[in-house]
Amino acid sequence: MLALSGNALAKKKKDVEPSNHWSFQPVAAEHRHGRVDAFLNEAMANKNLRPLGRAERRTLIRRAYLVMLGLPPSPEEVAQFLNDDSPQAWDRLVDRILASPHYGERMARHWLDLTRFAESNGFETNRERPSAWHFRDYVIESFNDDKPYDQFVKEHLAGDAMGADIGTGFLVAGPYDIVKSPDPNLTLMQRQDELADMINTTGTAFLGMTIGCARCHDHKFDPITQRDYYSMQAIFAGVKFGEREMKKEVTPNDTKKVAALRESLTVAERELEKLRSMAATNEKGLSVLRPAVNARLNTETFEATSAKFVRFTINKTNGAEPCLDELAVFNTRGGNVALAKAGAIATSSGNLPGYPIHQLAHLNDGKTGNQWSWISNQVGRGWVEIEFAKASLVERIEWSRDQTGRINDRLAIDYKIELSIDGKSWSLVASSNDREPFGGKADPNAFLAKLPAPEAKRASDLIAEIDLNRSRIAAMQNGVKAWVANFSKPGVTHRLHRGEPMAKREEVPPDALEVIGSLDLAMDAPEQTRRLALAEWIASEKNPLTARVAVNRLWQFVFGTGIVDTPSDLGTNGTLPTHPELLDWLADDFVKHGWSMKHTLRLLLNSNAFQRSSQPNSAAARIDASSRFFWRFPPRRLEAEAIRDGMLSVAGTLDRRMGGQGFHLFDVDRENVVHYHAKDETGPAEWRRMIYLFKIRQEQDAVFGSFDCPDGNQVIPTRSRSTTPLQALNLFNSRFTMQQAQKLAERLGAHADRVPQTYELLYNRPATSDERRDAEKFIGDHNFLAFCRAMLNTSEFLFIF
Amino acid sequence: MIDTRHLLNRRNFLSHSVNGLGGVALASILNQEGLLGAEKLRESAAGKMPIRPSIDSTNPHAPRLPHTVPRAKQVLMIFCSGAISQVDTWDYKPELIKRHGQPMPGGDKLITFQGEQGNLMKSPWEFKPRGQSGKMITDLLPRLGDLADEMCFLHGMTGKTNTHGPGENFMCTGFTLDGFPSAGAWTTYALGSEAEDLPAYVAIPDVRGTPQSSVNCWGPGFLPAAFQGTSFNAAKAVRNLATPNGLTGTTDAATRAFLQRQNYRHLQNHLGDSQLEARIASYELAARMQLSIPEVTELSNEPDYILKEYGADESGNKILDLRAAYGRNCILARRLIEKGVRFVQLFNGAYQTGGEGVSNWDGHKKIKEQYDIHGPVLDQPTAALLKDLKVRGLLDDTLVVFCSEFGRMPTFQKGASGRDHNPDGFTAWLAGAGVKAPFSYGATDEFSHKAVEGVTTVYDFYATILHILGLDHERLSFYHNGIERRLTDVHGAVIKEILASS
Repeated sequence: MLALSGNALAKKKKDVEPSNHWSFQPVAAEHRHGRVDAFLNEAMANKNLRPLGRAERRTLIRRAYLVMLGLPPSPEEVAQFLNDDSPQAWDRLVDRILASPHYGERMARHWLDLTRFAESNGFETNRERPSAWHFRDYVIESFNDDKPYDQFVKEHLAGDAMGADIGTGFLVAGPYDIVKSPDPNLTLMQRQDELADMINTTGTAFLGMTIGCARCHDHKFDPITQRDYYSMQAIFAGVKFGEREMKKEVTPNDTKKVAALRESLTVAERELEKLRSMAATNEKGLSVLRPAVNARLNTETFEATSAKFVRFTINKTNGAEPCLDELAVFNTRGGNVALAKAGAIATSSGNLPGYPIHQLAHLNDGKTGNQWSWISNQVGRGWVEIEFAKASLVERIEWSRDQTGRINDRLAIDYKIELSIDGKSWSLVASSNDREPFGGKADPNAFLAKLPAPEAKRASDLIAEIDLNRSRIAAMQNGVKAWVANFSKPGVTHRLHRGEPMAKREEVPPDALEVIGSLDLAMDAPEQTRRLALAEWIASEKNPLTARVAVNRLWQFVFGTGIVDTPSDLGTNGTLPTHPELLDWLADDFVKHGWSMKHTLRLLLNSNAFQRSSQPNSAAARIDASSRFFWRFPPRRLEAEAIRDGMLSVAGTLDRRMGGQGFHLFDVDRENVVHYHAKDETGPAEWRRMIYLFKIRQEQDAVFGSFDCPDGNQVIPTRSRSTTPLQALNLFNSRFTMQQAQKLAERLGAHADRVPQTYELLYNRPATSDERRDAEKFIGDHNFLAFCRAMLNTSEFLFIF
Repeated sequence: MIDTRHLLNRRNFLSHSVNGLGGVALASILNQEGLLGAEKLRESAAGKMPIRPSIDSTNPHAPRLPHTVPRAKQVLMIFCSGAISQVDTWDYKPELIKRHGQPMPGGDKLITFQGEQGNLMKSPWEFKPRGQSGKMITDLLPRLGDLADEMCFLHGMTGKTNTHGPGENFMCTGFTLDGFPSAGAWTTYALGSEAEDLPAYVAIPDVRGTPQSSVNCWGPGFLPAAFQGTSFNAAKAVRNLATPNGLTGTTDAATRAFLQRQNYRHLQNHLGDSQLEARIASYELAARMQLSIPEVTELSNEPDYILKEYGADESGNKILDLRAAYGRNCILARRLIEKGVRFVQLFNGAYQTGGEGVSNWDGHKKIKEQYDIHGPVLDQPTAALLKDLKVRGLLDDTLVVFCSEFGRMPTFQKGASGRDHNPDGFTAWLAGAGVKAPFSYGATDEFSHKAVEGVTTVYDFYATILHILGLDHERLSFYHNGIERRLTDVHGAVIKEILASS
């Protein structure tokens, strides 16, 4: 096949006919109604359906809390709402709910299902991704901040171009096979699968299109060609998996702060060094040895000397090839002249090959920690040399093995440091000869014991101040490490015949779906440009799919089923919308209100449909059994996470701290292949909301996994809600339930009216006299704990009505 | 589309309905929210309309009718994790023996999973004719060899990946990626189960741990959680099955009764809501499972001769201990089949207690030493299981499937005494209901490297298994993310040659 030049092919029209399928048509700009209920009532009238009346207020507040926050309201919150007689009571409740930080946690669960987010690689090795949680927190915060949806989407695809690196965690949130082989077929297939995951997830999550179907052949049902698929692949062709430091926006203000911190650091270092020499001179006035070297930080001070070169020679380590985290040389003004950024150049005797984290460039990069260090290629020895940009008057050198203090091996224990003005003649300024011998457990602060009390106190204050300032500087200079997309220059992308990696056909340019429009990118467009162009194309008000898909999902989060009940497929194989005009009005209104999700959700919550009774009605059920026309509010079972959160909440054990590293429900056995063993017992550390569970692919929580909890391997737009005996066994017999029942019993057991209080707490309603009689009798025959155990298992507690 | 099986099945369900739940069940058929409803049926990629099983949410495991008359009603899958070598077991190649120690033609250019090839290596275990049919099988598995006449071999199996995780996924779910429904989940989704008080689908992991793909091998994927495999073995019970510590049986039973009363009271305000009825039914079934699962896992009432036959009576060294533990799992598998469990997946080999080849079939470096342990552990109990099923007449309705994620190379790896992965030609066998035996279908080349005759894919393999169960693999599908997903993706053809004439 002839290869056309980049631009020629990019502009070549593909064989896609314009489609008359509804979802490819522009979103209607003119609407017959301007209210959710107006559309719904009209459709009901057409079906001869009569809507039920408004639900009781206690039902409503419970429903709103469970739907929007994933937690039941407290009896006090219910009382407050019931006692609010003003006509604005409901609006105020909705405002409170949308302002609650729990809103973001609840919405994030839906979103993380859609973005197949998990914190391990999957496949047989299934190793953890300890920094992936930053993406989860980003999603929570974005919902809570009501980040405009178009911006949110763009950040997922090209956050690195928008000061939101973390958004690109989306691209690499899926499974990743790290088992590599010299077999080239396998390697190519693995890469194809990685890219397919990005394309599929982007297609389903944002566009409601099953683009993945076109990997091997043109889409059977939708106007998506195989070329479209590989054009999408070209967009992601440079995206790689891994952990990296996120880009840190360094503001001028930060630079100023760093300079100030450095200055006070130098002052403190000088004073400390004086105290060190004081300790080094014993009471008889004789010089004693300096403290032994340590891995975290060693300081060498000497008479100010003019130098253009420094050489650090290592003759012995405490094991293996020597490692230097950082070598810093300070001039008399406290500036580090050895920094690469200051124009200094490092050379060495040789570098350990094969480890990107250990490089010569890391010796003087200003970044600290093992992952930014140099290692020699010789066991026990090696040298490094740094040539400064110009000759400087220097007086202090700092060097370290791992400034974070985590790693203690590969430490230089026999070394010398020399300076030179011309690189030929060298003078010794420091060495290990006047230090205590390295004893394995060097205590850098051992000298404190040799100082008189006031000086010792002063020295330890200085050490604390220095540590704090160092960490502040590091925080301002080093970005945070997270599992986000890594980028490389993309190679050429070919269409692959039948999706076979070895069956390359013509080259394809990066592009979006032809049926909606072209990105007009050159064959060799830069990597970031590709993703940014796709992001703009998706998050555009002109894209007929994006806003429709988004509002349909919001509808589904609120009502349980979307207006289109195949929320990730608005193609010809998906179902038609039950209320097409309503969908378009919502989509149009959403965009007009700045893609504000809270705006659209407020519309839905304020509708009569949301506030309707959920009572069954056999006449209506004969016409519309699944309540798709909203003659009632359709009840549904809570998801696994909301059940667990709710149990903790009513037991009074829920730890509401937000964000940060997740909690584990597994004991982790880290071999080459990581094994996860469900914990038998959980404690307060595991009693946070389940969105903060360290989410392991494949492995399911031993109690709540059986409640249709996705395992992060597939995009899940709608959860199944099955009912199984295993769920019953888990919820009835697990240690978790027994513990929480115990806590609930302790919380209420002492009250005289503990039975009605339990009903208020778990169901947000009073007990009926029947219920109360039965409960009192049961408690009398058995005990209150047994009652609590039963109540936590009841349907009323587990369902949204 | 009116589906008459649907109605029939409901009647069937009513007759099965559990104590005191007749009214509930009746109400439930008014509203089948979630799983049925007025669903739009879409053509699958094969151009056929799907046949949806009619699942009653109050009893998702109720037995359901297949698409056509089935040849088998149950499946017992024996899965050797780590990739058992066909070269050292079932695939006899005189040419390999003749050219032992010589380079494999083209082998110098061949890069397999771990790298370069050494020379051709005949099996260290001798092939001998077995059974009436004289099928050549090695001394590694002599007792299974004795049952050669029961087996229907597929010697031309091919996979599409040479890594274990994706390989096990592929063999168990039809997809190399994680997160797709396992064959057992598909089967129980379609057919439910005859075993009223037991899980419909049981995975029996090796006592040493789980296979490489772990729970994904019996996961539900995107099918409802009701169809996932329940995993337990003779040594480790189902989690949360036992009554919590410190509770008397009386209080436990009274608590359940109180719970059910509360749920009934609540149901009165929501009559006809099948989800609520399903929950009530699920607690009743759970209570029955608390009795029936320990009953089926309690092997102490098995007679001595059975324990002896399965090798479950001897201990004292590593091989005997492992054989006894696996033997007990084999007895458990037989008992589950006896009780009507639809799909039983029995694993031999695990990854927790040592990687490469130590406690699984991944013999890269020291195959002789490692298989000298694995062979005896597998052989006697598996053979006893097959014989036992036959004696009890269970093979009339049960299809036995023996498989592994892929096979191994006829060469040793360069500089090692073991074989690398080989997805291009390996052996699986079937036995029991629906297949010809003794029979061999398909063949690899002269060395057992690549399948060359009667080449079969994992898709064909499952198309055939589903066919034997009376299911059309192109019509058993589930709508997920815009696609009618199938166990066989968009591929597969029934291997008609191996089907028994009825």
